[in-house]
Amino acid sequence: MFVQIKDLCFSYGKENTIQNFNLSINQGQIVSILGESGSGKSTVLRLLCGLETPNRGEISIGGDVMTDDRRFVLPEKRGIGMVFQDYALFPHMTVAENIQFGLKGYGRKAKKQRTDEVLELVNMTTLAKRYPHELSGGQQQRIALARALAPKPSLLLLDEPFSNLDADLQIKIRSELKEIIKQTGTTSIFVTHDREDSKAIADRIITMRDGSAYDWDSICTIKSEFPEEQWTTVQ
Amino acid sequence: MKWLRKLPGYMNIWTWLSLIIVVLILLPNVTIFINFFTQEAENWGHIQEFILPDLLKNTSLLMVFTGILSILIGTSLAWLTSAYDFPMKRFFKWALILPLAIPPYIAGYTYNGILNYTGVIQTTLRNRWGMEVDQKYFDILTLPGAVFIFTLFLYPYVYTITRAFLANQSASIIENARLLGRNAWEIYFRIVLPISRGAIVGGVSLVLLEVLNDYGLVQYFGVPTFSTAIFQTWFGMNDLTSAIKLSATLMFIVFGILVLEKVLRGRKKYSYSNAKVRPLTPITLKGGKAWAAFSYSLIVFSLGFLIPFIQLVDWMFLTYDKIASPEFTSLITNSLVVSFIGAAMIVVFAVIIANFARMHHSIVSKSAARVTILGYSIPGAVIAVGISTVFIQIDQVLFGFYDMIGITPTLALSTSLFMLISAYVIRFLAVGYNSIESGFDKVGNKFTEASRMLGMNVTKSFFKVDARMIRGSLVSAFILAFIEILKELPLTLILRPFNFDTLSTKAFQYASDEQIHEASLASIIIVLISGVAIYVFHQVLEKEQN
Repeated sequence: MFVQIKDLCFSYGKENTIQNFNLSINQGQIVSILGESGSGKSTVLRLLCGLETPNRGEISIGGDVMTDDRRFVLPEKRGIGMVFQDYALFPHMTVAENIQFGLKGYGRKAKKQRTDEVLELVNMTTLAKRYPHELSGGQQQRIALARALAPKPSLLLLDEPFSNLDADLQIKIRSELKEIIKQTGTTSIFVTHDREDSKAIADRIITMRDGSAYDWDSICTIKSEFPEEQWTTVQ
Repeated sequence: MKWLRKLPGYMNIWTWLSLIIVVLILLPNVTIFINFFTQEAENWGHIQEFILPDLLKNTSLLMVFTGILSILIGTSLAWLTSAYDFPMKRFFKWALILPLAIPPYIAGYTYNGILNYTGVIQTTLRNRWGMEVDQKYFDILTLPGAVFIFTLFLYPYVYTITRAFLANQSASIIENARLLGRNAWEIYFRIVLPISRGAIVGGVSLVLLEVLNDYGLVQYFGVPTFSTAIFQTWFGMNDLTSAIKLSATLMFIVFGILVLEKVLRGRKKYSYSNAKVRPLTPITLKGGKAWAAFSYSLIVFSLGFLIPFIQLVDWMFLTYDKIASPEFTSLITNSLVVSFIGAAMIVVFAVIIANFARMHHSIVSKSAARVTILGYSIPGAVIAVGISTVFIQIDQVLFGFYDMIGITPTLALSTSLFMLISAYVIRFLAVGYNSIESGFDKVGNKFTEASRMLGMNVTKSFFKVDARMIRGSLVSAFILAFIEILKELPLTLILRPFNFDTLSTKAFQYASDEQIHEASLASIIIVLISGVAIYVFHQVLEKEQN
């Protein structure tokens, strides 16, 4: 198992947001966590990348323990890439500077080369000199993806990647997204409230309600065992 | 267990520095309380019996009347300028804040200079029309006189906060009341005052804290209050312990005000953070009403800024040749240097604590933020007492240390600029903190998080991302703190090194020596710098926001 989450618990204040959450993911898999707002799905991502500290439980990635009772690896040391819901592109930096931000330990040439590579990957080579506010929503999203992929993360997290796009764009971009991620072979987890997104991209869907997970191994099982009309009433 | 798990997330330089700063801020205040309960003071019995009742009476009278009057003036002007259009309203909207540029002690001696026997009013009456007036009608050096000055030069605190609230939050309620057929007066008393309660209480608490902080005006007007009594027992009777006990008593009053503020603001939230901000559309006044609104604004603006300002300019021309000298240049340099160093330190400290507080949502970080703001409510004289007690104790420890390593022992710290600047930092840290906190609030945490996900630690993220994004807030924190320090009087008077004068101490000294005209040049510089800053903040920034 590449990602292993065991008995994860977390609370904001007094309310338990995550209760005994368990999940394991194989390398290269694209997993979608599907749930309504407030189900704690984004919190799972924040716990995975170390922006929140769990109350209990264990997380390991690629065999290394990130969090348990004795250890806590800081977010900047985890080597995880993240695409934020509203992209969080640094407004005072150009596209190229945004992408190079995460390329620590690269030489000048190597930085330039890697930047070109990821820009090519997302088909945005012409926009390197632009500032984020000069880009459309879809372009911003692709740059955010390029920025997250540039340092070659072992795990890629995407928080509601389509929520800021119009419906037309959403359909076009999600197939692109799947292709790009598959091209890099990066293990990925993305969180969404839209089951169409899940179906279009994920190899495997997890649904969340009240802080716990329900797991289906493939979309096929979902479709066969649970007709679409029943999805909201499941569990 | 849970607590232990969260610990690694806290382990960085920001946490440690924040905790150190918090301890440094608390130290002088805690010292005062410890000494209040432990030390015996020789004059305390005497003070309790003969002085304290008077202090309490004067302080209460000053607070009650200044409070009521500034609420009346502040809210009525806030209502007029947000709900109505009348001639020159756009000018008055920010000009009515300008009285804040004139510190009460400067306003006090300026008004005395205008009204006394040799002042412009009486000499004109005498020389032009041969009228001799009864001096008692022209004597401003009284408690009511002090209330007059405090009200005119502090009401802008109520005005700005209430106006911001009315202009942005009240549109739907006010418009409904208008539609329901209520007239302007009914709306003012039955809607505007009650819904702005939170804003008014916030503004008036600032006014009261400024009244308690004041030393210059009450000293000059001969109205004994806690600040003057602390000076007197400390330097007149050489009894620091009694000064500490007075300070502690004053701090109890301050805490009383802060508690009262919390209670009066109540649990009801009179702001609609979820609703879209829709500005109140002003009604255009016509004819007599328009001129009445104009005249009222003009009178307050004239009394609170124009008249004293013109008088100061006039005196400045009279005395410019005499005053402008290399010595005066060194005053300016002194003022600018301490204000600059103080403001820079405030920005650094405020950034450290604000960044720490926003990264963690815990009791520790919340209390750190609270303590930071604490200093602003504590009167200058009290902070001065606390700081010097601490520094003298440190010096005594160092004294032995110097002796041991063979350097001639001196009271190095407690006679240095370092002590004065530390006091400024404690007193005005809140000013910088509020500005920086609102900057952080606006950008949120996501950019920092994005930066950390790209492998930068908290400190690198701050310098590469956060600092760039809150640049505006950093600049305004610096300017606001700079101006507060420039105007500051009681702390500077007590804690400055021997022979070290600033614009404010020199102006106060001239005025106290009955050289009112000579005080004008230093005062004008203070007023001009503060006035420009107010203009920039309220005019330019408001335009930018729209």
